[in-house]
Amino acid sequence: MTNRFVEQFTKAAQNVGAEVHLLHEQKALLAYLGERIDGSLLLSPCPSLERAEIPAALKAAGLDVIDSNFRERGAAAVAGLSGANFGIAATGTVVLESTAEAVRIATTLPEKHFVLLDPQKILETADHAVPLLNDFHQQLPQAYLAYITGPSRTADIERVLTIGVHGPAELHILLLEGLSDDLMER
Amino acid sequence: MNKQERSRHYQDRVRKAIAKPSLQDTLHRFADAYVVAREAAFAGHDFEALRRAIGEMKDQVRDNLSRYQAEFTANAEAAGATVFVAKDAAAANAYICNLAKDRGVKKVVKSKSMASEEIHLSRALNEAGVETLETDLGEWILQLSGERPSHMVMPAIHMLKEEVAELFSEVTGKEEPAEIPHLVRLAREQLRQGYLDADMGITGANVAIAETGGIALVTNEGNARLTTTLPKIHVALVGLEKLVPTIEDANRVINVLPKNATGQLITSYITWIRGAVPCADESKELHIVLLDNGRTALAESPHCRDALRCIKCGACANVCPVYQTVGGHVFGHIYISAIGVILTAFFHGLDNASELVRACIGCRACVAVCPSNIDLESIILHLREVLGEEEGVGVGKSLVFKKVMRNRKLFHGMLRAASLLQKPLTRGERTIRHLPLFFSSLTDWRTLPAIADKPLRDLWKGLPQKVEKPRYRVAFFAGCLNDFVYPEIGIDLVKVLNHLDVEVTLPLEQSCCGVPALYSGDRETAVAMAEQNLDALLHDDPDYVITSCPTCTMSLQRDFVDLLKDNPVWAEKAQRLAEITIDVACFIADKLDGAADLVKKAGAEKVTYHDSCHLKRGAGVWQQPRQLLTASGNDLVEMAHSDRCCGFGGSYSFTSHPDIAKQILGDKVEDITASGASCVAMDCPGCLMQIRGGLEKQEIAVRAKHTIELLAEKL
Repeated sequence: MTNRFVEQFTKAAQNVGAEVHLLHEQKALLAYLGERIDGSLLLSPCPSLERAEIPAALKAAGLDVIDSNFRERGAAAVAGLSGANFGIAATGTVVLESTAEAVRIATTLPEKHFVLLDPQKILETADHAVPLLNDFHQQLPQAYLAYITGPSRTADIERVLTIGVHGPAELHILLLEGLSDDLMER
Repeated sequence: MNKQERSRHYQDRVRKAIAKPSLQDTLHRFADAYVVAREAAFAGHDFEALRRAIGEMKDQVRDNLSRYQAEFTANAEAAGATVFVAKDAAAANAYICNLAKDRGVKKVVKSKSMASEEIHLSRALNEAGVETLETDLGEWILQLSGERPSHMVMPAIHMLKEEVAELFSEVTGKEEPAEIPHLVRLAREQLRQGYLDADMGITGANVAIAETGGIALVTNEGNARLTTTLPKIHVALVGLEKLVPTIEDANRVINVLPKNATGQLITSYITWIRGAVPCADESKELHIVLLDNGRTALAESPHCRDALRCIKCGACANVCPVYQTVGGHVFGHIYISAIGVILTAFFHGLDNASELVRACIGCRACVAVCPSNIDLESIILHLREVLGEEEGVGVGKSLVFKKVMRNRKLFHGMLRAASLLQKPLTRGERTIRHLPLFFSSLTDWRTLPAIADKPLRDLWKGLPQKVEKPRYRVAFFAGCLNDFVYPEIGIDLVKVLNHLDVEVTLPLEQSCCGVPALYSGDRETAVAMAEQNLDALLHDDPDYVITSCPTCTMSLQRDFVDLLKDNPVWAEKAQRLAEITIDVACFIADKLDGAADLVKKAGAEKVTYHDSCHLKRGAGVWQQPRQLLTASGNDLVEMAHSDRCCGFGGSYSFTSHPDIAKQILGDKVEDITASGASCVAMDCPGCLMQIRGGLEKQEIAVRAKHTIELLAEKL
């Protein structure tokens, strides 16, 4: 592993309640998802997942994969799977270019959000992400970019931290090597 | 409502809030946790540099507001948004209600927006026949209870889980247990269908970025993501002060906001939205309403405009002893706490702010944590002056300030007379434990010191000063309390400074520093006092002017300069005095380096130290007294919240807010007692009056002493 921020990223994400796992092969990914998804899975469109033939593998493994009509079918899904453009080590954040509506629905509505990140694509701090945000805004006339750090949380009742109010109650960050080295992927 | 009625209603709310210990308990616990979390979040960051940068960036936007507004509008519209600039609340509400009517909107989901609270948007929509649903958990709770937020970031912080369970039970029609995870789960289920049904989503924005025409939202719950994704129309209501030039500037704000708001490194979600993004195979209809509603007027107010730097983190409430005592429903209108006082004056009118302006105790705790470098206390003081001009300072006070205080001989003569008149009350002691009739409430919760038989100025002539070769000749500015109530502090000061080869003079023409008048809104009297004191103190050209009261110190160092800056005769003198004025502990530690030479008598006492607000956060002095106490052989133990206000605040604890002052003193006495010290040291005669009074009234055997008294004891 050559990215020097993986450990810091992992700790920071775990500190805010995310699960972080380093997976070395697709088989491990399928097993991980299979154990945790009991229902339909919203598959967020993502070129590097397509390239790695992950959607086909998920279907072959018997998962109930939804990849169209998210508006109609999204509310009933139990999980969403997406890629991530890059991570931020200081805060354990994953950054998702989410301009396509399907990405947003898959990562906001279900209880569980699984996100695949190539560990090569971890930046040190949010300051390092600023040039990338600038590039996205250059490239995209309309843009919806999401920083996601841990699961959905609230402390609105008596300041007691409680997980999973409106967004996903679980965030699983799966580090999969060789997935993509393109931080601007979309 | 007339002034008397308004004041009565307000005092009533103060009493009710104080009578709810669960509120104080919640707010105190939060405040303690906040301080720890915030410190951890900023570890490795230079907070001063970060806030300076935010302040400068925000000022740049303010000074070029129309340019950035135009740039933002052009870029947002190029990305498919419609931008509407609303000059006031009515215009914003009308625009959004008309839009809803025109598009046949039946149901709106909202994510948390203080701007929408500011303009009462939900009420306007409801009156227009549109159903609104608050989706932020705290806001939903308040929608059900019919209350307004009591904190900018944690709107329902004043409520207990039992109260929430009761509200939720009404929604579901069955009894819901008061278990927080269950209640949160219930909110998720109840609100979920709302997003799917809504025709319009309304959000605020934490920043609006001129160079992209985009906005960013900082949230934890994920409701803003759903609100901006599912409904086909998105309305973002954005205060003009949220404009920032670039993405880099937005990043600067977002870096600091969660750390300072709740002590989180970052919130769960940061959402950057530019333009009409895809929505159900079409494009979203995006409307951005830029809200003025008093903001350009604020930008044009030279004394108050720094308040536009605010990034709405709510930290000024988190650390405020007044907020912790009465909560945001009392110390706030829509916007709460220190920033709320100022924003209320501009967004909702001075009338709505007038009680709040006086409720600030002036401890500057908010100034120390403000992420935008706003001197909130100074702005509130200015508003108090304006209010003094508008509504008067109160007949009694006004007479005292104008006729008595400005005439030193009369003022001091009256203090001497009071010393004789109080005789029946003091029973020969130095403190007054009970006052008769309607004054009795003043000594219900603290004893008050008697005015000394002989003021320091009368004792001075008989004070031998044996300094053969003085290193410095300094003038002592005693201030009213040291002169007329605690002359022994002055005598001890001479003893200690003489020991360190410093000769001390007491210029007799000196008078009150003017703070009581200034803080009550009588600027004219404050100017007159500044001029009198400048003449008196600079007359013999001393090396330094030494103070033993930090409020006087701030007055001499800061207020005189400000009061006289436009006066060519006095400005330079005020500057000179500011340069040579120094607090006595700071003088000994920094200028004399005399700490090592302070112990003649052995014997260590367990001493705890109370930081006076104006010494630590005004003059920046807090290490020096501790150094001196330790160097003089004391065993220094820190109390919890050592730099939290004691609740004195001058007339705050006597006339304007004795109920709140009493509560804050109670907290302080508890912390002192818990420290296990047998003596509490401090460097302010005001704090001394308050703390000693509280300890004596509760018959707690802890000595309260000015640091200089403890140093003198060792000689």
